[in-house]
Amino acid sequence: MKTIVSAAALLAASFLAVPALAANLVLYTSQPNEDAQATVDGFMAANPDIKVDWVRDGTPKIMAKLQAEIQAGNPVADLLLIADMVTLERLKEDGKLLAYKSPEAAQYDAALYDADGYYYSTKLITTGIMYNTSAAMKPASWKDLTKPEAKGLVTMPSPLASGAALIHAQTLAAVPGLGWDFYKSLAENGAIAAGGNGAVLKSIASGEKAYGMVVDYLPIREKAKGAPVEFVFPSEGVSAVTEPVGILASTKNADAAKKFVDYVLSEKGQEGFLKLGYIPARNGMKLPEGFPARDTIKVLPIKAADALKNTDQDLKTFSGIYGSN
Amino acid sequence: MHGYVRTGNSQPAWLFPFVVITVLILSVLPLARLAMVGIAAFANGGVLTVLGDASLWSATYYTIVTAILGTIISLVIGCLFAFLLTLTDIRGKGLLSFFFVLPMMIPPQVTALAWVQMSGPSSPLLKALSIAPPLGSPQPLYSVGGIALLYGVQHAPLVYLALRAGLMTLPRDGVEAARLSGASSLRVFRDIILPLSLPGIIAGAAISFVSCTGNFGIPAILGIPASIFTLPTLIFTKFSAFTSRTFGDVAVLSAVIAMISVAGLMIQDRALRGRDYRVIGLSGASAAFELGAWRFAFTPLLWAILFFMLAAPFFALVAGALVPAYGVPLTFKTMSLHAFQEILFRQAVTRTAFINSLSLAAATALCLLTVTVLAAYALTRRRDAASRIVSSLIEIPYSLPGIVMAVSFILVLAAPIPFLHISLYGTIWIILIAYLSSFFAVSLKPVVSAFHQLDPALEEAARLSGAGFFRRLFDIIVPLIAPAAGASVILVFLIACNELTISALLWSAGTQTLGVAIYNLDDSGSSDLASALSVLVVLMVVVMMLLLELLAKRLPKGVVRWRN
Repeated sequence: MKTIVSAAALLAASFLAVPALAANLVLYTSQPNEDAQATVDGFMAANPDIKVDWVRDGTPKIMAKLQAEIQAGNPVADLLLIADMVTLERLKEDGKLLAYKSPEAAQYDAALYDADGYYYSTKLITTGIMYNTSAAMKPASWKDLTKPEAKGLVTMPSPLASGAALIHAQTLAAVPGLGWDFYKSLAENGAIAAGGNGAVLKSIASGEKAYGMVVDYLPIREKAKGAPVEFVFPSEGVSAVTEPVGILASTKNADAAKKFVDYVLSEKGQEGFLKLGYIPARNGMKLPEGFPARDTIKVLPIKAADALKNTDQDLKTFSGIYGSN
Repeated sequence: MHGYVRTGNSQPAWLFPFVVITVLILSVLPLARLAMVGIAAFANGGVLTVLGDASLWSATYYTIVTAILGTIISLVIGCLFAFLLTLTDIRGKGLLSFFFVLPMMIPPQVTALAWVQMSGPSSPLLKALSIAPPLGSPQPLYSVGGIALLYGVQHAPLVYLALRAGLMTLPRDGVEAARLSGASSLRVFRDIILPLSLPGIIAGAAISFVSCTGNFGIPAILGIPASIFTLPTLIFTKFSAFTSRTFGDVAVLSAVIAMISVAGLMIQDRALRGRDYRVIGLSGASAAFELGAWRFAFTPLLWAILFFMLAAPFFALVAGALVPAYGVPLTFKTMSLHAFQEILFRQAVTRTAFINSLSLAAATALCLLTVTVLAAYALTRRRDAASRIVSSLIEIPYSLPGIVMAVSFILVLAAPIPFLHISLYGTIWIILIAYLSSFFAVSLKPVVSAFHQLDPALEEAARLSGAGFFRRLFDIIVPLIAPAAGASVILVFLIACNELTISALLWSAGTQTLGVAIYNLDDSGSSDLASALSVLVVLMVVVMMLLLELLAKRLPKGVVRWRN
C-alpha cells in the first residue's frame, strides 16, 4: 500500500511540476491524425527550436471549440489549418485573423490566397465518388448515385461534421441540372449523411455501404494499401477545398506562427503533402500516385462570398432533407 | 450545550467550515450555476425553442428506451452471474468473477469499438474467418438494440456487484430450515432467496439505469452513424455547432438528463420502501446449492457469455489494429504492425493522453483522499442536520451523469475567475476539478464506513494525554483507516483513468485524455489507430486489476470487490 501511495505521490508531484502546455505553438487542424502528425513533425525537423502541439477535429467542430474558447476569453490556438477558405474568410471579417505577407506566395495562383495575407491555400482537396470494388455498378457521374442500383447503398459526410462536405453541397447546389433537387433524390434513394469523411471511408471500405461522396486522398491512399475501394472524378466535375492556413490575431507567438505558414507553403512543406497523397497547391508540383493528370480534373466553381452568406440557410436546407441534427 | 460534552467532538474549529467550503465549490456552485442558466433560458423564452425542438424529444425518447432495455439486459446477465457464483458450487469462481468485472473497468467507447470490429460486413475477424455478411448489410449494432445490448454488457458487472453484496449476507438457517422441511431447490430459490435478494437487484437496476442515461461513449460510436442521438450525444453535437445560444440550450438538456436520473433513483426508493428484511442468525449462504449434473449446462454457459463479452471483442480489436487498411481481410500475409508503430512512436497524442489520464487519475485520487479523510472525520463526529445536508450534497454530483457536471463546470469556469483573471477553461485544471466533484462520493464511502467502525476511546485516550489534532490524526486515525483509504484511492484511480464523458466536453490542445484520443482517432477514419490504442488501454487495465488481485490478500475484506 505504501509503495502505491508513494508512487502515486511521485506521479502527482511530476504532474504539478509540468505545465499542461509545454509547446510554443498550438495548431488546430482538420487533417487526419497521421497527416497532422507528419506535417508537424516536418516543421519541427526544419525548426528544432519550436514545439508544436496540435488538435484534430472536423472543421465545424474545431471552429465550435475555437468559438467557445474565444467566448471564454481564452483562445488556445495560434494557427488554423482547416478545410476551406470560406470559414477563414468569415474569421477574417470578424477580425480574428492576423495578416502576414508570406514570401512564398509568389509561387501560388492569386486565387488561392487572400490578397491581404490573412490566409493561404496549402493543397487542393476534391470531393468525388468512392465505391467498393465489389459493388455492382461503376458510377461515372453524380447522377448515377440516384439510380435504383444504388438504392440504400449511398453515404456521404454531413456538412455539420465536415467543412469539405459543406462546400461540396454548396458547389453542387449551384450546378444546373443537379442543385438541391439532386440531394433530395439521393435522400429518396435511401442515402444517408452522418459523420465526417473518415466515417464514409470506413463505411465503404467495410462494405456497409457501396457508394459514397468523399475527399479524394482518403480512398486513393487506402487503395494503395490494399483496401477494396476505387475513386472516380465524376463527369459533371468535382468540388474542391484548399485547406488554407491562417494565423489567429490573438496569438502570442506571431513569429513562430509566421515560420509555420512559410513552411507549409515552401517547396519542402508541399513535398510533404505530396508524399501523404494530396494535390499540392504550389505551382509546378507533381501530382501524387494514383491521380489522373491535373488538367483532366474538372473543378466546379464556387463563389466564396455567396457561400459565406448562405452557409446557415444551406445547412438548414441540408438538415431538412437529411433529418440530421 | 451546557454541561453536555459531545463525545469525541474535539475537532479544530476550522475543520467543518473547510469541508463545507469544499462542498460548496465542488457541488453547490456548479449546479447552482447550471440552474441559473437554465432558469435564465426559461425567462428569455429560449426554453420554448429548446422544448419545441423535435431533436430534444427524440433524444429523450432514445435515452429512456435504450436505458430501460440496457438495464433489463444488464439485470439478466448480472443476476445470472451473481446467483451462480455466490450460491452454487460452480468451479472456477475466482476466475469467472475476475473476468466478469473486467468490462466495467474498460472505457465504454473501447467496448463499442471492439464490438463494431467484431460484427458487420467489415469485421476483419469475420473476414478472416470468411463469414462476413454481404455488401450493403447494415452494421447491426448501429441501432437502438445495439446501444442497449452494449449498455447491458457494460453495466452487468454493476448489477453483479450490488446483488452479490446482498447475497453474501443471506441467512443460512432459513435456507436450511426450508431444505429440512423438504422444499425443492427451486422452491427455496423462489420463496426465500429471491425475496431476500430483491433489494440488491433493485439497487443494481437503479445504478445501471442511471449509468445508461449518462453514458456517452457507446451512443457516440454506435448511435451517431445511424442518426440516433441520446441526450449526452445531443449535448456533444450542440457543442460542435457553437452559437451564442449553446450554453442555454445545453443547460436545459442537462436538466432533462438530471430529471431522468433522479426519477430513476426515486423509483428505486419507492421500490425499496417497505422491503426492510432484517434477518437473524448466521449469514453467508455460500454454496447453498449443489449444481450436480446442471454444472455441465451452467459452466459452459457462463464461459460462453464471457467469451462473447470479452474474448471475441478483444480479438476483434487486435485484428482491427493489425489490418493494413480498412476492409482488407486479415491473413498472415496482410498483417501489419503499422498501427502500433504509429501509435507508439509517431503520434504525440498517445504519450500526451497516457500522461494526462494517469496524472489526472492520480491527482484526483490523492486530492480526494486528503479531503475525504478530513471530511469523513468531520461528518462522523458531528451527527447533526448540517452534516447530513453536507453528506447528501456530496452524493448529488456522483448520481448525476458526468456530462451534466461537465456542462456545469464549463458554465462556471468559461469566464475568467474574478480577482485572479485567469481562465481555467481549456486547461487541464477544469478537467481535474470536474473529476474531483464527480468522484468525491466514490472516495468518501469506504472511508466513512471505516470511521464508523473506529472505537472513539482510542482517540479519546490520546486527547486526554494532550495530543493535538494532527498528532491524533497521523498516529491513530490514519493507520486504522489506511486499508479503506487505500481502497478508495484505487477505485477512484481506475474510474478516472477510463473516463470519457466529462473530458469529451472539456478537452483542448494538449489536455486530451485516453478516452478522447481513442474517440478522436476513430472519428478521423483511423480506426486501425483507434484499435491499437484501445488494445494498449485494455492491457493497462488488466495489469492494474492483476496488481489489485495481488494486493487483495493484504487489503481488508470487501476492498477488491470481485473477490470472495
